[in-house]
Amino acid sequence: MIRFDRATKRYGGRTVVDAVSLEVRAGHLCVLLGESGSGKSTLMRMVNRMVEPDAGRVMLGGRDVAGVGPEQLRHGIGYVIQSVGLFPHWRVADNIATVPRLLGWETARVSARVDALLELVGLPPEEFRSRYPHELSGGQAQRIGLARALAADPPVLLMDEPFSALDPGIRRGLQTALRRIHGETGKTILFVTHDVEEALLLADELAVMQDGRLVAHGTPAEVLGRDAGPVVRRLFGDATLAFHRLGTLPAASAARPGPADGTPALPPDATLKQALMLMLEQGTDRLALPGGTLHLADILAAA
Amino acid sequence: MRLPRRVPWLLLQCAAFLLALWAAPRLGPLWGALFPDVQRPVWDQRGWFSLLGAHLLLSVGAVAVAGVLGLGAGILATRGKGRLRPPLDALFAVAQSVPPIAAIALALPMLGFGAAPTMLALVLYACLPVMRGTVAGLDGVPSAVLDAARGTGMSAARVLWQVELPLAAPVILSGLRVAVVLSIATAAVGAMAGAECLGTPIVVGLANNNGAYVLQGGLFTAWLALLADRALALAVR
Repeated sequence: MIRFDRATKRYGGRTVVDAVSLEVRAGHLCVLLGESGSGKSTLMRMVNRMVEPDAGRVMLGGRDVAGVGPEQLRHGIGYVIQSVGLFPHWRVADNIATVPRLLGWETARVSARVDALLELVGLPPEEFRSRYPHELSGGQAQRIGLARALAADPPVLLMDEPFSALDPGIRRGLQTALRRIHGETGKTILFVTHDVEEALLLADELAVMQDGRLVAHGTPAEVLGRDAGPVVRRLFGDATLAFHRLGTLPAASAARPGPADGTPALPPDATLKQALMLMLEQGTDRLALPGGTLHLADILAAA
Repeated sequence: MRLPRRVPWLLLQCAAFLLALWAAPRLGPLWGALFPDVQRPVWDQRGWFSLLGAHLLLSVGAVAVAGVLGLGAGILATRGKGRLRPPLDALFAVAQSVPPIAAIALALPMLGFGAAPTMLALVLYACLPVMRGTVAGLDGVPSAVLDAARGTGMSAARVLWQVELPLAAPVILSGLRVAVVLSIATAAVGAMAGAECLGTPIVVGLANNNGAYVLQGGLFTAWLALLADRALALAVR
């Protein structure tokens, strides 16, 4: 769906994005992970031409974005930024309706869409539609930002550290909401963050950047494998890499088939990390899973 | 809300001003007492209301022109990477630094006697505050809002019209307010070039050594400027 082809950007003499090639498949949520200054935001902003590459190209749905007018291109790409950027002089409903109005939708269709989106992001329409942005909390504002990005039902969403400025509790709520919305809508999402926990929670694919270069790309389990390079080890913490890795592996696959043995039971979609936490919590070395038993030794073997 | 209480108060002040204009020719004893040496202390060569009308036409007309020029220059100065800002700012600063009286004198040979040279001087004088207000207002639009506006696929013109200008409006209006007050206060100078306005009694009074005329013209010019300032302060809210 999104393909970067040796995309390069230089500012002055500095190469901010250095010949990055990366493909994000349709319907996937790809997290671009890296420290600040690693070039991840710049790379992402090439997709909607907020940044033009100096070399290489960006393909969207098989078309070079350089061949599409920036405005028309952006109507088909949702864009969510850390500072939200709601229009302070417009009510919530008008903010959400920005792109549908640009596309010339009828009033009735726009207001129906606004209400549907407010429901989708978990805010009651009758309570929020007429508010002004200054009457919203940070978390609510970012939910509106997400609704605005989704308004014209674009197939692709670009999210630039959207939850980084929020309090941890609010952030977790939005991460959960995003996972749900991603599941319900099947959007292709490119999500930039420097937060490794957030990356692991959200990612179908993980792309790790350092100094403008792509240093690792794959499923979280692949990126966090035993052969992980120094950048990945440093980002996730050398000491905790194995623990993070457990979080990417499903518990069910490591369990021994047969009748469930052991009393504490795990939910079927639990990860090995959750299994280990439960063992530590309960002081046991075996857990019951639907259709099998998980021993502590199985976790050690899988890690 | 403070607005409803302040509007009637402003209307009252306007009424007081108009009443004073009406009463001025009828207060012969007052002017006589203030200026015992002046033979004819009551200004009666032109009606005060026609002078007021001419004064407003001159100053508001000048601000309208300065508003268009200043707004346009302010928008130009903030486009692109702001490359046009230093030359435009310098140009408008130079224009304002020419004393209006000098501008009038210089323009007289070309534009002749009357309102035209005064208008030119006032426009030169009033452009800078409008432009500076526009630039400050546009600079004050949060960059996140601009980023989001462009990211949704608004054209540059739409971003300017629907996002930047509405958000910058309060600062632009306060620049305009400065321009109006400056222009009303300065328009009196136009009487030197023969433009009819509230400055006419001042110029006639100076020529004839009539302090009563100077006082009356000065009083009403200043009063009008203050009133305009109050009225625009309300509008900016």
